[in-house]
Amino acid sequence: MLRTLQRALLIAVAGAALGLAVNTGSPRRIPVIAPPKTAPQPADFVPLADARQLWQGGAAFFLDARAPADYKAGHIAGAYNLPAEDFDARYPETATMLTPETVIVTYCDGLECDLSHHLTDRLRELGYRNVRILQNGWTAWRQAGLTTATGAKP
Amino acid sequence: MKIFNFILRLVIGGVFVVAGAMKIWNPGGFANDIANYRLLPAALVNLVAIILPAVEVLAGGLLMAGIWKKPSALLIAGMMAIFLAGITQAVYRHLDIRCGCFSTIEARHVGLTALAEDFGLFCAAVWLAFWYKDSHES
Repeated sequence: MLRTLQRALLIAVAGAALGLAVNTGSPRRIPVIAPPKTAPQPADFVPLADARQLWQGGAAFFLDARAPADYKAGHIAGAYNLPAEDFDARYPETATMLTPETVIVTYCDGLECDLSHHLTDRLRELGYRNVRILQNGWTAWRQAGLTTATGAKP
Repeated sequence: MKIFNFILRLVIGGVFVVAGAMKIWNPGGFANDIANYRLLPAALVNLVAIILPAVEVLAGGLLMAGIWKKPSALLIAGMMAIFLAGITQAVYRHLDIRCGCFSTIEARHVGLTALAEDFGLFCAAVWLAFWYKDSHES
């Protein structure tokens, strides 16, 4: 039994080394120690009522930061899907519809979800000035009885 | 019985190889899934997202290949115990988060289905690690 335990530990250590080595060589590598996050400020969020007005007036571009499968299952009507986790691959198709001045509302789902935060950070890095987060977006929108859509397209 | 254990090894090992490989493919997405469980300090999330999938692939691969069967099954059982604890606390805390069990392409959220599946895997791994007897023990 002791030998089994020792060998199990050895596999774990070897796996850890393998993982670190693979990450070093991977094009999608992530920093081993995550840099501390700056917490979003109140000004980074758009209240639901304002988002609704923007949506009704067609004054904002809504971006769904969730995975394609979640988007397909249901999203804010007219919102485009730009998964935060696949930003680099999916950004070009969205970029053609945006200018640095475009008012953008990002959202994901759940109070703990920070995909919309990541997406907002990435967009701001690229020079978009009017990006705000609709917190708990999908749930809040649905519960308010606002217009939704399903499928892979907006 | 022998053939049953053989198939069980292939299935459990295979599940771990596939699950690990899919996570290695998208470490950033997996790190986000781990962070959503709200269990680990933020500084450790990436480290776990880098290491864990590789350990899964290695242990699963060894179990499939029949090398160090018991140690790899024991390690898999240990990982399953941790995953079960993570999902249980998420369900208990009503966190509506993605399971992250296989990869970031699955939309499955944590819930009773994920718990049941993981419990099945855990039992199978415990069986292989402790009660499974074959001619040459390792």
